[in-house]
Amino acid sequence: MELRFKKERLFDEDVYTVHPDDYRALCEQLKQEGYDYPRSVSGIDMGYGLRVTLHLTRMRDLAKVAVRTDVSYENPVVASVTDLWPGVEWYEREAYDMLGIRFRGHPDLRRILLEEEWELHPLLKRYDTGGYPIPGWEPGPWPDPEPWVPPPPPEPEGEADAAEGGEAK
Amino acid sequence: MSTMSLEPMPGRTDEMIVNMGPQHPATHGVLRVVLGLEGERITRAVPHIGYLHRNHEKIEEARTYPMVIAYTDRMDYVSGTQNELPFVLAVEDMLGIEVPDRAKKIRTMFFELYRLASHLVWMGTAMLDLGAISPFLYTFWDREIILGIVERTAGARMLPNYYTFGGVRRDVHPDFFKDVADFLDHMERRMVDYEHLVLESPVVHARTIGVGVLSKERAIARGVSGPVLRASGVAYDVRKAFPYDAYPDVEFEIPTSPDGDTYARFWVRFQEMYQSIRILRQLVEITPKTGPYKGKAPARIKPPAGERYRAVENSRGELGVLVVSDGTDKPYRVKHRGAAFSNLQIVPDLFVGAKFSDAIAILSSLDPVFGEIDR
Amino acid sequence: MSQIPIPEDQHFRPRLIGYNPARSRPWLERTVYSAYVFVFWAIIVGTYAGVPALFGALGWDSGWGFVLMRAVQVVMLFLLSAVIALLLILVLRKYLGKVQERYGPMHYGPAGGIQTIFDALKLLAKEDFVPAAADVLTFRLAPAITFVASFAMFAVIPFATGWVLADTNVALIYLIAVSTLSAYGVLLGGVSSGNKWALIGALRAGAQMVSYEIPLALVFLTVAVWSGSLSLGGIVDAQMGLWNVIPLALPFVLYVIASLAELKHIPFDFPEAESELIAGYNVEYSGMSFAFFFLAEFVELFLLPALIVILFFGGWHGPLFGLEPGSLAAGALESLYFTLKTAVWVWIFLWIRATLPRYRDDQLMEFAWKAMIPLALFGLVLAAYLRLIWR
Repeated sequence: MELRFKKERLFDEDVYTVHPDDYRALCEQLKQEGYDYPRSVSGIDMGYGLRVTLHLTRMRDLAKVAVRTDVSYENPVVASVTDLWPGVEWYEREAYDMLGIRFRGHPDLRRILLEEEWELHPLLKRYDTGGYPIPGWEPGPWPDPEPWVPPPPPEPEGEADAAEGGEAK
Repeated sequence: MSTMSLEPMPGRTDEMIVNMGPQHPATHGVLRVVLGLEGERITRAVPHIGYLHRNHEKIEEARTYPMVIAYTDRMDYVSGTQNELPFVLAVEDMLGIEVPDRAKKIRTMFFELYRLASHLVWMGTAMLDLGAISPFLYTFWDREIILGIVERTAGARMLPNYYTFGGVRRDVHPDFFKDVADFLDHMERRMVDYEHLVLESPVVHARTIGVGVLSKERAIARGVSGPVLRASGVAYDVRKAFPYDAYPDVEFEIPTSPDGDTYARFWVRFQEMYQSIRILRQLVEITPKTGPYKGKAPARIKPPAGERYRAVENSRGELGVLVVSDGTDKPYRVKHRGAAFSNLQIVPDLFVGAKFSDAIAILSSLDPVFGEIDR
Repeated sequence: MSQIPIPEDQHFRPRLIGYNPARSRPWLERTVYSAYVFVFWAIIVGTYAGVPALFGALGWDSGWGFVLMRAVQVVMLFLLSAVIALLLILVLRKYLGKVQERYGPMHYGPAGGIQTIFDALKLLAKEDFVPAAADVLTFRLAPAITFVASFAMFAVIPFATGWVLADTNVALIYLIAVSTLSAYGVLLGGVSSGNKWALIGALRAGAQMVSYEIPLALVFLTVAVWSGSLSLGGIVDAQMGLWNVIPLALPFVLYVIASLAELKHIPFDFPEAESELIAGYNVEYSGMSFAFFFLAEFVELFLLPALIVILFFGGWHGPLFGLEPGSLAAGALESLYFTLKTAVWVWIFLWIRATLPRYRDDQLMEFAWKAMIPLALFGLVLAAYLRLIWR
């Protein structure tokens, strides 16, 4: 079966951008290739949808790989890879908690950092402050701090001090 | 918050469900573990975190890049500048900023000083959990010396906000190298005492050997990093695997232990302290005493659109940061990967079947700091 | 970011505040401790020599007068236990400070000498509540049981020749019986608290105390067999030529370990493991009830080293400098020796507390049942055999 992905090399790791339906299959294929150490699963709100980024490393030659998937806001469902790498369990819970990405097949998908009855997913871009939507509010530009003005040079002292000789300030 | 996530199992009346709550002297912070206890043996364990959640990631989306450095300090608050480094490195990669050699060495010196400080906190609190009340005060005195050294240069003790893009914010204090050399002499004498108190104590042996064994495959699959991973036999250290700063210029070893039990984790952290002292000694020799402490960096930090994941070896393990930039002067998304977050996932695995005081010993050997777990 | 130049004399030089042992004025501390020990000794002299002399002079020697005299002596012993608590809590905190490179209490009184009085006032001022889920009668009774059990041991402790409240000849059996009662207090206190943590602590405490009382009793029997008497005065008299610690070295070591376990002292402080169970069986207690548990522990911290001194180190024996034995002056000197020897042993116990981590409970139990009881039995048999061939 042909997997729909695009592979590129960013800095020092291979980055796969894959269709969400083939995410699971690609992850299984990478596990076959020996990528056994899960480093992180991040959720990102891209503005056009939600992205899941999985970073893996292969222990024997320290090769790094990243797998990205984009899903829409209306149906943010991605397959879970917890059974392949148990270390992503809490990261997927955090992505669900913060962004609302649901992982199909996760053993225990509930909120991890927020309370279990909390309703919103705070890291979505539609919430500007504190996780509460403020309709019609536009963030203003960040005010420039007052520019630092160097203090004026000291006044030249009177005759009495000039007789002491030149002390370097 | 739902009070119990464990339902009593039907038909079993001898299991007691106990809440080892967020306020507890031995959980190293705000961790809540709901335990199913059968006498002294733990049958089920469900950890709950999030009591220290301060939503760093959302806040940092509204701050410019130099402001974010001040926020990253607050994650693993016992490790000070160690938390700033992955963010700084990621943005330097994205912008292509050159860091001068002296600045790299200064950054590495602070990094290792904070590793010593963090391991001293760990040692004091681990012995406190095991019942010995005196080593806590000795280690915190040594930590005072480190924090005093940092304060003379950076201005603050625990959360110095000292690294910046291109190097460090200000030059080191003229007495810095002498202070560090004196401290290393003092520390080497103290390490002998600590070894007698901690590693050679028969009570510590009885409490930690064979307790909480984590196998190599389970450790790798769980994404565990740092001393916990190295105590299970895997020689993975980000300083050697994906080197940064001045680590290619210094010689050091990665201590590993094949056992995987709590004593191995104690031992590996001890050896890491020795290696830190060794690195610091080399750096005191080879750092140029004068020279640039900061390279050229643009006045407005605006990385090109893209993302970069960068990790460093924190005292707890692999501390990583994923910086997503959209070309403006504020980051689009900063995701922090805390080392202790991954390490804490093995708590249900290790607690089940252990006795309750073993659970305390295991938790102290995992060394969680909740700033980095909950962010 | 540009460097803002600051003139050199305004540079911030952080001052490392270090630990300077001289700042705690050791001479003053020693004076304070000596003052407390002097008060302690004065109370003993008053209780055991002054009160009988007073009542004898008044002619109230028999009948109701005797009962009144004993009552007065018991009240003075209460005062004594208060002084013990004051001194030992202070010494514990100061000594831990010395070991841990810090000053102990420094502010109230000379070199912190009056600190414990303020601790007691604080405990009195706290709200003494009973948790809603607790069994009220047992909850209130448990600290009293523990304190009474510890305090009742005072009745048979001889401080000098003839200076004892109840000169029974079954003192050792009485001690075994009474020290077991304190296990009751701990168990009842923890179980009646209505708190799962207190329950765990109480069960651990009960199991530990019961397990370690068996080697304790066996060592008592060993000493009784060797000395030929069950009364404490008789045991001390039998040590006239040779202190018991030399022939009975193994039982001595076992007795020290068992005492540490009875006291719930580190390395056996599992029931009140501060970093695991917060306070174990007394987690729900506050105010005066907690003060009773606390007081009981510190009174036992005096009594068990006192027993070590009586059983193994010759009690009050020491050079009398020609004073006539049995007189008031000789009794005073002997009780001073007793006090000093007990002070040495209390210091050793505190030293152990400051240094060691704690063992796990199953390791404790294993040690008690698999190591200490066989060794205690062996010691008993050996002592009996030695007595047979030496005497």
